[in-house]
Amino acid sequence: MNQKLHRRDFLKVAGTLAAASLVASCAPNNSSPTSTLLPDTTTPLPPTFPPLQPPTASAPLAVIALNRMGFGPRPGDVDAFNALGSSDDERLRAYVAQQLNPDSIDDSEFESRYAAAGFETLQKSADELYADHIVNNPYDMNDDTYWDWYSKPAYELVEATFLRAVYSRKQLVEVLTDFWHNHFNVYFWQDDAVPMLVSYHRDVLRAHMLGNFRQMLEAVAQHPSMLYYLNQNNSSDAGPNENYARELFELHTLGAENYLGVLDPNTIQKDANGVAVGYVDNDIYEAARCLTGWRVDDDLGDWEDGVEKSGRFLYYKPWHDRLNKLVLGKYIPADQPDLQDGRDVLDLLARHPGTAHHIARKLARRLISDVPSEAVIQAAADVFLANLDAPDQLKRVVETILLSEDFRLTWGQKIKRPLEATIAMLRATQAEFTRLPSGVSWMSSLMGQAFFERRPPDGYPDTMEAWANSMSVLYRWNFAVGLTDNWMDDQEQQRTLRTDLRAQTPPEVHTPAALADFWIPRLLGRPMSDENRQAVIDFVRQGYGENDEMSDEDLDYWGRSMVALILMSPDFSMR
Amino acid sequence: MPNYSRRNFLQGCSYAIASMAGARLSNLAFSAQNNTDTLVVVFLRGAWDSLNVVPPIDGDDRGLYEKARPSIKIPADALLRLDNQFGLHPALSPLYDLYQQGKMAVVHATGLNVDTRSHFDAQEFIELGTPGIKNTSTGWITRHLQSTPSGSTGLVPAVSTNGLPTALLNYTPTVSMNTSSDFSQWDNGTVAQQKEALRKMYGGNTLLEQVGRRTLDALDVVQPLVSQDYVPSNGASYNDDDFGRQLQTVAQMIKLEQGLQVATVDFGGWDTHEYQNDGAGGYMAGLLSSLGSGLANFYQDLDSGYTNHLSVMVISEFGRRLVQNESNGTDHGHGSVMLTLGGGVNGGQVFGQWPGLSNEQLYDHADLAVTTDFRQVLGELLTSRLGNPNLETVFPGFSGYNPLGVFHG
Repeated sequence: MNQKLHRRDFLKVAGTLAAASLVASCAPNNSSPTSTLLPDTTTPLPPTFPPLQPPTASAPLAVIALNRMGFGPRPGDVDAFNALGSSDDERLRAYVAQQLNPDSIDDSEFESRYAAAGFETLQKSADELYADHIVNNPYDMNDDTYWDWYSKPAYELVEATFLRAVYSRKQLVEVLTDFWHNHFNVYFWQDDAVPMLVSYHRDVLRAHMLGNFRQMLEAVAQHPSMLYYLNQNNSSDAGPNENYARELFELHTLGAENYLGVLDPNTIQKDANGVAVGYVDNDIYEAARCLTGWRVDDDLGDWEDGVEKSGRFLYYKPWHDRLNKLVLGKYIPADQPDLQDGRDVLDLLARHPGTAHHIARKLARRLISDVPSEAVIQAAADVFLANLDAPDQLKRVVETILLSEDFRLTWGQKIKRPLEATIAMLRATQAEFTRLPSGVSWMSSLMGQAFFERRPPDGYPDTMEAWANSMSVLYRWNFAVGLTDNWMDDQEQQRTLRTDLRAQTPPEVHTPAALADFWIPRLLGRPMSDENRQAVIDFVRQGYGENDEMSDEDLDYWGRSMVALILMSPDFSMR
Repeated sequence: MPNYSRRNFLQGCSYAIASMAGARLSNLAFSAQNNTDTLVVVFLRGAWDSLNVVPPIDGDDRGLYEKARPSIKIPADALLRLDNQFGLHPALSPLYDLYQQGKMAVVHATGLNVDTRSHFDAQEFIELGTPGIKNTSTGWITRHLQSTPSGSTGLVPAVSTNGLPTALLNYTPTVSMNTSSDFSQWDNGTVAQQKEALRKMYGGNTLLEQVGRRTLDALDVVQPLVSQDYVPSNGASYNDDDFGRQLQTVAQMIKLEQGLQVATVDFGGWDTHEYQNDGAGGYMAGLLSSLGSGLANFYQDLDSGYTNHLSVMVISEFGRRLVQNESNGTDHGHGSVMLTLGGGVNGGQVFGQWPGLSNEQLYDHADLAVTTDFRQVLGELLTSRLGNPNLETVFPGFSGYNPLGVFHG
């Protein structure tokens, strides 16, 4: 146990230290702050904040599709989308069909970049990850090399996830993987299975995200990453640990909207199948009992009978509570075959209409807007329930949402979260990297969101209120500057991140107005409002007339900074 | 690079700078606020095990506590005695002096009057200030700042050190910053012109645009701090951890004297379902040590003229079950404990009616019961220390306000 605590404590600080050590490598040169006093004649005005108004801008369907089914357009993507058909309807259907069949997409550009990156650990199977990085870690536990080797697969996964999001053409796959990671959240630095994150991401989330929910649920429930994260690994009949069972109900399936509180289960209304319409605390206690004995085969100290150290899921009968239970009004008899009690719980939950609505609502919130309409939620939930046993259940649910009216007709009722904003900037500027400088992850962390670093089990929030705050906005701005000025290189690890904006600017573009009118649609896929366009022009012209020819030096210097400014605009953050 | 003319500068300057200049010129504008406290809310996310933070030290309940927690009880002789009934976890020893000096009080068996053992529901109910209702569109601190008679016209009325918490939901004047040194805009040589353009682009009334303007305002005030190395007063020394850095940031913002009324600090990691402690040591002791040391240094730093108008509340969403589980941890419970520090606290006492730990005294036969609604404590704070008697606005639907005497007015 001491060893466990030691490791856990180490991991807790490791994340912080890793981030702090990067500050030096990417700190820009700060200018002196502006003067802070005005003449005495100024009347002090209290800041007043008028009532919030919803954004009114709209966007072409290509922009909607590329920002919601992906991490924003790269140059050329809007044209490619528009070439998919002769009407919006045709184009959207074609794009959705393509994105929902990722194997049909030629992704050679990404694949060659991925090969060039030369990741060392990501191809390892779950067994290999556990054996190589946990059981047989060749280094001394008191040495940094041990922990470097231990965390290497997870760090490589973060990098590869950025690489995919930026360069892969299978954009919807990346959006959905991120969605499901947050839905079935596990924390990068939590507990005893950091290297297994690679397997969780690949063998559970990627493998099932367009598949069947019930199968995905069991794959999650039996993966070491989740078993450790929510303490299921220690749950025995002697004193069940309720952590996993509670979040299984509240976050993974039925959702808090179906939590009825601390009530007598006999008082809860049942549906036509005799299943309770919602859950109470007693259901969680009983489900926890059903799941006792679901653990990892992880006897690292060789002190348990019948347990080895494969790192695989293990049903450990000595810990299982063999007596009868009552879950959601359904009787679960004593002495069922191995695993059956837990599987009964997963069946009840995965087939429950409450789960269908919870999943439909969250997917619609991710893919459409912060407050999706009840109509689209109902439509998606109906498809979920009509395809409970279909191998492509989730694909059909997602398709329903993407082809809905709501998907086409809503815009700007959601902002990009920090990772989306970061990745969208890398895409829009055609940034070049193979191995990602660590500063990029650090920047997204300062914005409040880094891959796999949400510690509570609820996943990163998915509404504007959570992300419209000054720190998050400020570091979007800072990243735009760091990116366009090529400040993000990681010299220690010899990793570069480069944009060459001048090379992307056609030679005939050399006036302030032409610069703005070239870069605004290139970065946003659409025009800006007249006022914002004018602000961009006024920024870049600096004494020139709008249609004056700028010097080569000014084109370079102010043009680059103008690109940053467009990336900093509220328009760029819309989704 | 073209000259940045005085005209441009004045144009780029916002009402923010204007209001700051005004504030400096006329202290009267702030005198009303200076008679009320700056509130610092520390939210311990994950539900801290309050029965191990302030356990019974004597009597029948000590026996029940030890029986329910054979491997995770805090030994009685390790506790710091608070009164004839309770002790304080030894990892909080940095706060014990403050308790003895009457600057810290404990309120036991506090929490929500609704039935939930969900972290996320309970946090929302507390932060929205509307137990049982989740669709409230503003947080309780938002409504306090909007309804407080002294107004909230300071330049930086609210600071959050970890994104925007639900307690400040839809309060757009909030400035969020991890640390003041991170709160700095990168300059590629054109930052002044960028700011001018950003003010135009963020000119609308969407949430994002209002936040963008607020960020520009706050940068004007905070960024000058960045180049200065902050030296805490009275020899205080913050831990080099997230909590220490957040508190240091809050102390800096208080000392700016720009009308800071509320700061929120988040501290996570308290969901101790397994291996929570090993006697008086272990994982949770590490968290408590960080908490205690952070708050004690914060208090010491601000005991340079600021603590008479400082109230710190430490709160968590609920407590944990009396009976431990087999993984040397505890599952979700009900009643919790609140700590409060400040010059206006009737400290050195444990407040609240103790419900007892026998089976029939427990909530749902399992958890410490709640005898003091968290709104009693916050309501008294609002009335006595923050100059805001509008409890019906801040806590709509809350009746039966009956202050415990935790604060002097």
